[in-house]
Amino acid sequence: MATQPRDQKKQDQQPGDVSTTGHQWDNDEGYPLQEYNNPLPKWWLYTFYATIVYAIVYWVLYPAWPLANGFTKGLLASSMYQELAQEEAAAKATRQPLEKQLADLSLEEIARNNNMLQFAMSSGKAVFGDNCAPCHGTGGVGAQAKGFPILVDDDWLYGGTLAAIQESITNGRNGQMPAHLQTAGGNLSVEQVNDLTQFVLSLSQRANDSVSAQRGRLLFSGEASCHSCHGDHGKGSLLDTVGGQPLDHGIGAPNLTDKIWLHGGDVETIRTSIAKGRSGQMPAWGGPGGRLSPLDIKAVTLYVHTLGGGQKK
Amino acid sequence: MTAVATELYDYAVIRKFSVMAIVYGVVGFLVGVIIALELTFPGLNADIPYISFGRLRPLHTSAVIFAFGGSVLFATSYYVVQRTCRARLFSDFLSNFTFWGWNLVVVAVVITYPLGLTQGKEYAEPIWPIDLLITVVWVAYFINFVGTLARRKEPHIYVANWFYLAFIITVALLHIVNNLAIPINMTDSYSIYAGVQDAMIQWWYGHNAVGFFLTAAFLGLMYYFIPKQAERPVYSYRLSIVHFWALVFLYIWAGPHHLHYTALPDWASTLGATFSIMLLLPSWGGMINGIMTLSGAWHKLRTDPILRFLIVSLSFYGMSTFEGPMMSIKSVNALSHYTDWTVGHVHSGALGWVAMVSFGALYHMIPKLWHTRIHSVALINLHFWLATIGVVLYIVAMWISGIMQGLMWRAYDQFGNLTYSFAETVAAMHPYYLIRSLGGIVFLIGALVMVYNISLTIKNSARVPA
Repeated sequence: MATQPRDQKKQDQQPGDVSTTGHQWDNDEGYPLQEYNNPLPKWWLYTFYATIVYAIVYWVLYPAWPLANGFTKGLLASSMYQELAQEEAAAKATRQPLEKQLADLSLEEIARNNNMLQFAMSSGKAVFGDNCAPCHGTGGVGAQAKGFPILVDDDWLYGGTLAAIQESITNGRNGQMPAHLQTAGGNLSVEQVNDLTQFVLSLSQRANDSVSAQRGRLLFSGEASCHSCHGDHGKGSLLDTVGGQPLDHGIGAPNLTDKIWLHGGDVETIRTSIAKGRSGQMPAWGGPGGRLSPLDIKAVTLYVHTLGGGQKK
Repeated sequence: MTAVATELYDYAVIRKFSVMAIVYGVVGFLVGVIIALELTFPGLNADIPYISFGRLRPLHTSAVIFAFGGSVLFATSYYVVQRTCRARLFSDFLSNFTFWGWNLVVVAVVITYPLGLTQGKEYAEPIWPIDLLITVVWVAYFINFVGTLARRKEPHIYVANWFYLAFIITVALLHIVNNLAIPINMTDSYSIYAGVQDAMIQWWYGHNAVGFFLTAAFLGLMYYFIPKQAERPVYSYRLSIVHFWALVFLYIWAGPHHLHYTALPDWASTLGATFSIMLLLPSWGGMINGIMTLSGAWHKLRTDPILRFLIVSLSFYGMSTFEGPMMSIKSVNALSHYTDWTVGHVHSGALGWVAMVSFGALYHMIPKLWHTRIHSVALINLHFWLATIGVVLYIVAMWISGIMQGLMWRAYDQFGNLTYSFAETVAAMHPYYLIRSLGGIVFLIGALVMVYNISLTIKNSARVPA
């Protein structure tokens, strides 16, 4: 019975139920601005008081008011510098023994130690995401259009052993394919570049003009000297030989027989690679001035090694 | 009546400011859509420095806050102060001076920002010669407003004018203190503050630009246009007094919550957070007073899209003034800071509250300024729905994106290594950036509907009587 008239009033409040202040403004349209004399809503007032109490409690517990000399420290005497130091100390306590092992053990030993490998993988993934992924893609999927190698397969340019990967990351790599077309600074005519292109297609058993490819074969080991980097059989500096002698693994000349391409394997792209050459730069991440610490490099080496194509030897 | 009103009141300057408000609104929303798309598809800037995100973003914020919002406030404050004082504006010269001066500021900003000429303070980017021009225009505005109050023919000063006056005085103070700098040539200067003091002054300014430009001033607007449009008395005179003083007293302290977990001392952080919490109910006082003004007249919401704009804007205002204090709590801020959540929060206030309450006021005021009727009420309704859908798409996308971003940044595994690289978090945000752009486009289309509707209203005003 008590609530009924109140609800009624709330819903159908009409001028006259509550008085206005009596002030009026701007009656141009025949309806002046007026103000009711309603009291402050109780829930509003008490919630406002509650926020003030909350603030006072907060001031008592935490650093709050500046004084002539310093500030009120609060009962909890908390400080964000202290909080940071505590969290850093806790993180350090977890990581320090693991980091020590990461430093002391060899790459091979870590690869055999399941717990340490997990730690290296976790750290390596973070290092990779911030430093390597911009070129090699998230998870090492590569970017063929720009000649950034795929790291998830077992087709390596400089070697997929732990030692070779560590070397690539620490000191960087510099892959140079010279331009062969006369107008680009080389010694071959347009026809000769076309012949070589047909021969390269034949190396991976793809459709080609066999007459032209035959002429290209002679150029490959002759005038163009492709074999001196890619090897007598075009299998690249890692796998192939020249006159029975192994090639320098630091050359990084790709295997041309496996249908996996660094810059792309369509006719036009192969022709462009031969005619104008290619240049690939992997920065040096280690050493003085390098962005990564030896520990970071160790971790990311193990991470890359496990991405899919890591070689034992 | 109309003839008398025309003679008594200076409507000419209000008409000019109203038209420019609409023009700047559309430009500001358009630039917002462009930069939202640039974030979604970074190649869109075509490597042209003048339209890169870093230069267009301050252009967007300044266009919507100061060009659009500023013009709305000049127009409505001049309208409200004259009608509630029953007095003509203090000086026709000063009225025109503020109009041309303010527009000159906008032009100078539009030229300098894309050229990369800014002083690098958020929402205070103009270089020092423009800052001086702003100061002169603002002092003229103050004199004109106070002069009009002084020559009023009403015994009492209506509540809307308290809010407008608090806005004018505080913005002058904020602008001058934050921009104190030593020029080294015509385009560059050094702030007189250094290090964390400079950051603290900047966010004292930045937060109160929100508090006094985008909150107090638009509450003043609300206090006139809602009771006028609803034809109802304001709900509570006492609430208007208490929440006014509480708001202006508490707001000015809240700036440090923009600098949690920085070089700012702990005690300043605490004060910023606690004053922000205490600000919640004073902020809500305006919402309660506005919405409760409709008590007994709720049915008008069904038929009057202008009132719908005004009341829904208060709902967004209530949401963002709840969200703001929550985000100022340090542990919440640790998650939300530097993420899209902040961007979503700002836009629920900027689009949902400021822009929508402005649209409502312009739809109410423009027919009266031209002594005519609105061309189409149905188109106002269409604009209302486009604006509402646009805002909701925008803020929901930014909530999801921002909270996801914050959680991804802080995720780490049992070894203490971060789970996600920064690039992965950016990739994860892409779909929400697309939804945000879509929300912006829908909101912009709504504004274009308003341009069409208002243009025809003004064009036909000579032959359509009120």
